[in-house]
Amino acid sequence: MNQGALTKKDRLRIEGAVRRVDWVLDGRVPMAKRRQIRSELRSNLIDASQQVGAANAIRQLGDLRALASSYLELYRGRFDFQAGSLWAIITYAAIEALGFALLIAFHAGVAAGGSHGGSYSFEFWPGFGPFRGSTGADGLSFEVLFFSPAHLLLMLIAFVVGSSYRSIFARRTT
Amino acid sequence: MAENGVRDSQLLKGVLSLALLRLLAERESYGYELVTQLHGLGLTEIQDGSVYPALGRLERDGHVTSRLVASSSGAARKYYRLSAAGYAALAHTERAWQSLVRALDSILSRPMPAKPKEALP
Repeated sequence: MNQGALTKKDRLRIEGAVRRVDWVLDGRVPMAKRRQIRSELRSNLIDASQQVGAANAIRQLGDLRALASSYLELYRGRFDFQAGSLWAIITYAAIEALGFALLIAFHAGVAAGGSHGGSYSFEFWPGFGPFRGSTGADGLSFEVLFFSPAHLLLMLIAFVVGSSYRSIFARRTT
Repeated sequence: MAENGVRDSQLLKGVLSLALLRLLAERESYGYELVTQLHGLGLTEIQDGSVYPALGRLERDGHVTSRLVASSSGAARKYYRLSAAGYAALAHTERAWQSLVRALDSILSRPMPAKPKEALP
């Protein structure tokens, strides 16, 4: 038995374990519930640490990701902002990858056509982006915009769908 | 050996709610205290990390209520107490468990032959 006051290191260890569980819940479980989970977990870990030491107390919790998943299963909110953010990032990357693929195709197409002096232009979504290309007397140019209203709109759609598809799906299956 | 341990812990997970309801019927308690009680009763395979969400599940289902109580260790403890629905659930689950034990016992108490009989054609 290792009863007694906890050292700073013990408290840091406990806080680290609490934060590792909380990180999985971030953006998925309502804030107030997360605060309750953190507080209860911290309190139980402090009690356990006073009996068996912080390292053992944390070990006795088992797999922290499994613990976080159990909490997630219990208290998952309507929106999953982690999933939404991930889908927005994936969408952004896909737009940029498509833009660069189109750049290469457009360049190859214009070069194969042997355009000299003429003017060709390409715009995916006029005035909105996310990429546009043109070629003329001054040569070939193609712009892959790093940000445009189209980026914003597509990422927003991906975010909304990505953050709520689980609750939509759950409602449909019940 | 390890496989048996895993199997046991799966088995225990299934009856964890019943054990928690029964312990809480005796007195109001908090997470870690319940863990030490379970371990003290021989259910050492149950991990702390299974008990805390199980308590949350009981609370969500309305089987227990909770309140925060300041403790000498610093952080407030969350004490759980059985609700009226919890007592009803305990009675129901206890009956179900007893009937399962009786049924299983009647199977397990039969003499085991050295070799299983061949099926008849």
